Amino acid sequence: MTGMPATSLGTGKALAATPPAGHYDFSRKYWLFVLPAVVIILAVIVFPWLFTFFMATQEWQVTGATSFVGLANFYTLFQDTRFLESIGHTFYFTILGVALPVFFGTLAALVFHREFPFRGLLRTIFVMPMMATPVAVSLVWTMMFHPQLGVLNYLLSLVGIPPQAWTYDPATAIPTLVLVEVWFWTPLVMLIVLGGLAGLPKEPYESALIDGASDWQMFRHITLPLLWPFIMIALVIRTIDALKVFDTIVVITQGGPGTASETLNYFLYLQAFQFYKIGYASAVVVIFFVIIVALSLLLLYARQKSKWDA
Amino acid sequence: MTRFTNSLTNGLTRRGLLRSGAGFAGAGLIGAPALVSSANAQSKFDWKQFKGEKIDVLLVKNPRADLIQGAEKAFTELTGITVSSEQVPEQQQRQKAMIEFSSGRPSFDVSFISLHVQKRLAYKGKWLEDLKPYIADATLTSPDFDFADFNKAGLAFATQSDGSIQTIPQFVDYWMVYYNKELFAQKGLAYPKSMDELMKTAAALTDPSKQIYGFVSRGLKNANIPVWTSWLLGQDQQTVSPDGKLLTDTPEAIWAAEFYRKLNKEYAPPGTIGFNWNECQTTFMQGRAAMWLDGIGFATPLEDKTKSRVAGKVGYGITPPGPKAHHSATFADGIGISRGSSKAKKGAAWLYIQYMTSKKEQLKLIKSGAGSPARQSPFADPTVNEGSIFPKDYFECLLGSGKIGEPGLPAIIPVTEFRDVFGVALTNMLSGADPATELKKATEAFKPVLDKSEL
Amino acid sequence: MPHVLRKLLKKLGFYLSVAVLVSPALLVFLWMLSLSLKNELDNTAYPPVFIPSPPTFANYIQVFAQNNFGLYLWNSILVTGGAVLIGLLVGVPAGYGIARGKSAKFAVLILIARMTPALSYLIPLFILFQIVGLVGTKTGLMITHLVITIPIIVWIMIGYFENVPIELEDAALVDGCSPWQSFRYIAFPLARPGITVGGILAFIFSWNNFIFSVVLGGKASRTLPSAVYNSLTFEQISWGPLAAAALLVTLPVLLLTVVAQREIVAGLSAGGLKDG
Repeated sequence: MTGMPATSLGTGKALAATPPAGHYDFSRKYWLFVLPAVVIILAVIVFPWLFTFFMATQEWQVTGATSFVGLANFYTLFQDTRFLESIGHTFYFTILGVALPVFFGTLAALVFHREFPFRGLLRTIFVMPMMATPVAVSLVWTMMFHPQLGVLNYLLSLVGIPPQAWTYDPATAIPTLVLVEVWFWTPLVMLIVLGGLAGLPKEPYESALIDGASDWQMFRHITLPLLWPFIMIALVIRTIDALKVFDTIVVITQGGPGTASETLNYFLYLQAFQFYKIGYASAVVVIFFVIIVALSLLLLYARQKSKWDA
Repeated sequence: MTRFTNSLTNGLTRRGLLRSGAGFAGAGLIGAPALVSSANAQSKFDWKQFKGEKIDVLLVKNPRADLIQGAEKAFTELTGITVSSEQVPEQQQRQKAMIEFSSGRPSFDVSFISLHVQKRLAYKGKWLEDLKPYIADATLTSPDFDFADFNKAGLAFATQSDGSIQTIPQFVDYWMVYYNKELFAQKGLAYPKSMDELMKTAAALTDPSKQIYGFVSRGLKNANIPVWTSWLLGQDQQTVSPDGKLLTDTPEAIWAAEFYRKLNKEYAPPGTIGFNWNECQTTFMQGRAAMWLDGIGFATPLEDKTKSRVAGKVGYGITPPGPKAHHSATFADGIGISRGSSKAKKGAAWLYIQYMTSKKEQLKLIKSGAGSPARQSPFADPTVNEGSIFPKDYFECLLGSGKIGEPGLPAIIPVTEFRDVFGVALTNMLSGADPATELKKATEAFKPVLDKSEL
Repeated sequence: MPHVLRKLLKKLGFYLSVAVLVSPALLVFLWMLSLSLKNELDNTAYPPVFIPSPPTFANYIQVFAQNNFGLYLWNSILVTGGAVLIGLLVGVPAGYGIARGKSAKFAVLILIARMTPALSYLIPLFILFQIVGLVGTKTGLMITHLVITIPIIVWIMIGYFENVPIELEDAALVDGCSPWQSFRYIAFPLARPGITVGGILAFIFSWNNFIFSVVLGGKASRTLPSAVYNSLTFEQISWGPLAAAALLVTLPVLLLTVVAQREIVAGLSAGGLKDG
């Protein structure tokens, strides 16, 4: 139970006065709390998973006929260069789409942690993109990226930068989509890190000041280590969401130009809802699933080990 | 189809008769005699036979659907059938039709079908009712429906490989060239008479220093296919032969791809690789492209002074002839009845389709600039260009294109995947790949998909 | 003097960084506002026209006139509201149970559910709904949105309850409290900030989801974001109404955030997410 924040204890009841008499073993009594959620999760989450595994072994024809094909879908999948490329695109997008928002979000949190005039208003404005409906705002971004008539190229021309092709060039399509992602999700990182900053203890700074530490030294040796758990959380959340990016791609590039911005999730959409290859698409889901399970086990292992084994 | 005659119970009232007679006079069936004859014809046909039915209709979002919804009130008054219709954008509508028809229990009784994409799919999936028996049944089909009035291109799209007619064509789109008359006049150029000339004209009109380009067309994968097939039709060739063989890596196909690449790379604005119709349209409306190859259905906003800087200066040219042939790539929408609906709903649905594809409604379609009708009679109507926002050459282009129309996409099941695979190949060419290699690769990739689809 | 100058420079640098941070959000939203208040000719003009003169409300009027905006708004409120409410109702106790029961298996399940793309649930759920007749209904849509809300809420709540000191409850249990009472009277009030954060995040993700409604929604059950996506017509794209619609869709969530922002920051700083 490390890192118990003092702020939430303020509302604690007087019960705390009773000394703890060692941990009472009650883990068996808690399944009832979980039961309603389990029932719903079984129906709307686990059932689809199982059904997907079943479908992945089928050749599912548009005309309704299906036949068992075993692992043939997977065999085809691993020879499909577009599928393999889409995995590469996904990781490319995810790495940029995690690193940049986390960097800028942390920076923003440090800025908004300080007191300055109109802080509340400016912070609200900064947080707004996170609330914006991605489908709707992506449509507006598309227009801003127009190579001849877009407002972005106009703004660049004001400072003497030549017009960019943005999403209209295979080489810059993914970086441009990352730009939109940064715009949408830096605020979430900022909020998480800001939360961390609010709970930081004051003492280390006071003693550091007495020792004559510089601002940078204090940040490097006190703030950053204390903030690290929060930055990690932001990292995990961003990884999850960047891996399954969809809305912005379907609206802005549709995976293009060509296949330049086709991610795993978009490839899945294409197979399932454009080509109607249900079996093949299900095989994509299974592979996606394997990646996700591996990642989440990794994350959970790290998290639970540090906590429950302690 | 005698099973429907049982419901022939509601006699036609005088008011109903007058109303329907007046309605058809409004259709512009020139003068009083026509009014009398149509009123007489009406008296034999019972529009009220499915009174009290309720039908659900799935429309594609476009100006034609606006017209249809606008006519629903009059239809309900005439027939006593309640209509609940919804417009869904093209892509999602196809998705919805696909998913719901395949499930066997669609939530609608009437649906629009993009025949250039889903014709074969609808046939193999047994989505729609064969309409031939309905047309042949005089108790179900009004005498003035005049099925023979539908044009060849529309009927060719509507007729399935076994001869059944599962949709009534409502709209036929022709690919043609919009051109900016002002830019042409500045250089003293005339509309090109051949594809080669079009290339030269585009070169002469391109002036990157002024951000003016000779030509613009779609580069976005999937959307770019009709541009390529438009040029390919100039070589008198389709993408798939009638017996189902891919003709996508022939010398003609490579020629068309090279033609496509040169135009879009050298004479079009940078970034066309990601352009769909809307980016092309915006570019053309801003007066930055001298020519734009696309469907004629996109014409309306060009003549709207509140949206377009080229209103009144737009020329409408028929796709110029290629080295071997003169064709216009053609696309069509049709309306059909869901096979899963009940008998009575099917009857009501048929009345709806008849009404919405009648001569009157088809004339409204062309007059409002919502697109090109699938019937011939609207073109012969003397009032057709009265008060129209379009100049005379718009109508000439429509008529002329209709005479040389050829399908712009192959009639196969995996049309979307075809467009995707070859669309990517075309896009790759725009970023520097060799047309012959790309087409060969795409053909090899698509062949197994096509073979599998017909099993 | 140099000291004062340095301080001034530092201050200037600070305000500059504030400006740099805030301007992307500000510029995009102002541009959307500008688009929504201009006519089409100005919207596609180059160089761009920034200040609408005169401003027109025609775009907003068109959005309300052409679409069933009120109905879609109501659908969105029902679907998202219902999904968040049910999510909280079952998710908060579940988070508590998992945290206290130290049930690693459930925790993994929830995390995987949180990571799985919503898209992959569509086909199985469609087939399931077909059988039970829920396709195209608001109830069906709400159930699919549970796929989004439950994992987020449970996931955040696990982290929160783990940080509620177990000693308090130990004491209560020894004094004869039932687990339910110790949840209801001790853990629940302490975890309230977490419930706010979980509820709001679930609300945002559910509100903004459009693909479920595109595939599973019918004309009576469509939600707002998918209606906006649908407002792209094939023959002509209209930027003005689109921007107006985009702003209108975002508005409810935006208002919610402005109102609840203090709570969110407080909730986040209460540390629940730290170990989540």
